[in-house]
Amino acid sequence: MKNLLATAFIATLVVGAPCAPAIAQSDEVNVVLFGMPYTRGLQAIADDFEAESGIKANIDVIGQDVFENRITLSFTGATGDIDVVHTPVIQVQRWVAAGWLKPITEEVDAMPGKDDILAGPLDAYLINGERWALPFMAGAGLMTYRKDLLDAAGLDVPETWEEMLEVAAAIHNEDTAAIALRAVPGQGFNMFIFPMIMRAYGGKFFEDYVNGDLTPAINSPENLEALNIYIKLLNEYAPQGAGNFNFAEVNAAAQNGQIVFAVEGTGVVSQIVNPEKSKFARETGLALPPGGPAGRSPAIAVHGLGIPASAENPDAAAKFIEWAVSTETVTKISLAQPFPDFTTGTVADNADVIAKYADVHPDFLRLRVEALDLAIGHYRPLIPEWPALGAAIGENINAAVNGLMSPEDALAAAEQEMADILGS
Amino acid sequence: MIVPAVLAVGLFAIVPLAGMLALSFSDYHLIRGTNWKYGFHNFARLISDQRLLNSIYVMAVLSIFGVAAQVVIGTAVAVGLNKIVGKWRLGRVLFLLPYAVPHVAVALIWLSLFTPTLSPINAFFNLFGITVPAFLTTQNGAMFAIVVADTWTNFPFTMLIILAALQGISTELEEAAALDGATRVNTFIFITLPLLVPALLMVTLFRFIDSLKHFPMIFVITKGGPGRSTQATNFYAYVQTFQNSNVAYGAAIAVFLFVFAAVISFYVARLNQRVSS
Repeated sequence: MKNLLATAFIATLVVGAPCAPAIAQSDEVNVVLFGMPYTRGLQAIADDFEAESGIKANIDVIGQDVFENRITLSFTGATGDIDVVHTPVIQVQRWVAAGWLKPITEEVDAMPGKDDILAGPLDAYLINGERWALPFMAGAGLMTYRKDLLDAAGLDVPETWEEMLEVAAAIHNEDTAAIALRAVPGQGFNMFIFPMIMRAYGGKFFEDYVNGDLTPAINSPENLEALNIYIKLLNEYAPQGAGNFNFAEVNAAAQNGQIVFAVEGTGVVSQIVNPEKSKFARETGLALPPGGPAGRSPAIAVHGLGIPASAENPDAAAKFIEWAVSTETVTKISLAQPFPDFTTGTVADNADVIAKYADVHPDFLRLRVEALDLAIGHYRPLIPEWPALGAAIGENINAAVNGLMSPEDALAAAEQEMADILGS
Repeated sequence: MIVPAVLAVGLFAIVPLAGMLALSFSDYHLIRGTNWKYGFHNFARLISDQRLLNSIYVMAVLSIFGVAAQVVIGTAVAVGLNKIVGKWRLGRVLFLLPYAVPHVAVALIWLSLFTPTLSPINAFFNLFGITVPAFLTTQNGAMFAIVVADTWTNFPFTMLIILAALQGISTELEEAAALDGATRVNTFIFITLPLLVPALLMVTLFRFIDSLKHFPMIFVITKGGPGRSTQATNFYAYVQTFQNSNVAYGAAIAVFLFVFAAVISFYVARLNQRVSS
C-alpha cells in the first residue's frame, strides 16, 4: 500500500518532471548534482573517468531549485535512474530516515584514498554506524573586510559581534554600508548565517542536542540577544534592501565596494577576494567570523556524493565516487574552478593549488582550516526534520528582520513551530 | 480518431489528478511513510490553517492585480499594434520577446532590478538624490515586484489573443461610426470593446487559472518572504510537500487549489456563454 501511495505521488509529479536520463547500462553511471564550482568542474572532466575506468559518466548538473523535485521523484519511485547523487550533509539524515540512500561503509573502507579525506566532513556522513556518502566539499564561514577603509578610519577588525556593532556604527555611511549578511529566509540562507551569532552568544536549537534531548530551545534570552544584534546590523548598518539579500547580493555588494564587512561561506569569500572578479580584492582582508561570550562558531556546510538505494549500478557508482574525490581529480578541479573547499587533504599540499589560492589571498587556506577546526559538526542540527525546522525558524527570523513581527514573537513562533514539526 | 485524445487526457490529466486525490486522503509522509490513516483529516486541517489563509490572500492579490495589469496592458498594446501597417508590423515580434524568456530568467532579471544595490533604476535616481524604496523587504512591495515580473512576461499572451480578436472585427463598423461623427475613443468604448468581451473573458480566464500556479517568481525573487508574506497557495503546497515532507497535506492543498480553479472556470465559462448569446 505504501508503494501505491508512492506511485500516486510519482503520478502527480511525473508529467511535469524534467526528462530523466534512461537507466544506465552496466558500463555507464548516471550522476545528478546541483550547480557549484566543484560539480561544474567534475562535469567538465567526466571523460577522464571513462578513459580511466571504461565506464561512461553521464553527469547532469541542474539548478538547486529543481534538484529537490528531481531526486524526490527518483527516490520515491525507486526508478533507479540515478547512480550517484549530490548529498548535502543537512539532507542526509532525512534521506537515510526515508530509506533513500544505500550505505557505503564497505565501499569506503575498501578505498585506498579514504584516509586522505578530512575526518570531520567524512564522519558527518556516519549515521547509525554506517557511512552514507563521501564528502567532496566543506565550506566554512569567514569574514571579509575592507582594510583601506578600516585603516582610514583608524578602526580595528572586530573580534566579537558586540565590537562589530561599534565598528559598524563608526564606519557606516551613505556611500559604503558597514556590513551585508544573508537575510532571505531559508535553512541554507539566513539559517547559514544567523547561527554564527546565535552560538557565539550561547544560544542553541534544542535543550541538549548532543545527548538526544530535542526539546526546542530557540526561544531563549541568548538567542534573543543574538537576534537583536542580527536585526540591528541588517537594519541600521547594511545596504538598503538587505532584508532580502542572499549570498549573490552579498557577494555583489562586496565586489562592488558597497560594503566594508561581509560574513560568508568560503565559496563566496573566495570570489570576494579574487582580483579577477572583485574590484576591491586587493583592499580586502580576511578574518574569522566574530565571536561572543560563548566563543566563535564559524558556519560549516558539507557536501558529498552518495548512492541511492535504488541505484542500478552501485558498483560503478562507488568507482565513480572514489575517482571524484581522489587527489588527482580534486586537484584538477581546484585549479580549474574557484574551489578552495576541498576535503581531500593532500590537495592542500599541491604547490600549484597553494600558489593559486595564495595569489587569491595569502591567508585564505590557513583561515579556512582554522574556521573548520572551530566549527561544530552539528552547527545546523543533523536530524531528518532539519530542512523543515530550518525553514520555519528562518522564515520567522526574516519576518523579525523586516519588521513584520517583534524578535520576541519571532522566537516564540519559531519554538512553537519546531514543536509542531517534531511532534506531528 | 478520439482514442489519442482520450489517452492523452487520461495520461496527462486523470492519472496525476487521481494520484493527487488518493494522497490527499492519506497520511503519507516522505520520511515517516504511512500509518494507513485514511479520511478527511488533511481537509479538516486546511480549515484551521492560518498559513493557508495567508497564502490564499497572497494568491488572490497576485492573481487579481497581475491578471488585471496583463489584460489592460495587453489590450492597450494590441490596439496600438492593430493600427500599424506595412513592414512595421514585423515590430510585433518585439512585444512577444518577454513571453519567450524562461520564467526563472525573468525572475532573476527582476530580482536584480528590485535589489537596490544592483538595480540600474536605483542608480539612476540616486544621481538626483532620490532614494527608491526597497520593495522586497515589505509585503506589499514584494507582491508588487512579483506582479510586475509576472505582468512583464505574460502580457504578450493577452496581447496576442486580443490582437487576433481585433483583426476579426470588420473595419466597416469603425468607418460607419466615424461617418456618424464618433470620436476614436467613443468608437473604441462603444463598438470595439463590446465586441472584444468574449476574447477578454477567455484571456482573463486563461491567465487567471495560470496565475494560480505562482511559483518561479516567488521562489527566485522573494523565497516567500519577507517572512512568509509572499507564500501563495501553490508555493505553500510545495513547502509542505518538499520542505516539510508532508506529501499528504501538500496534496490536500493542491486538491483545494484545483477545486478553486475549477469553480472559477465554471462561472467564467457560464458568463462567457451568456455574453456570447
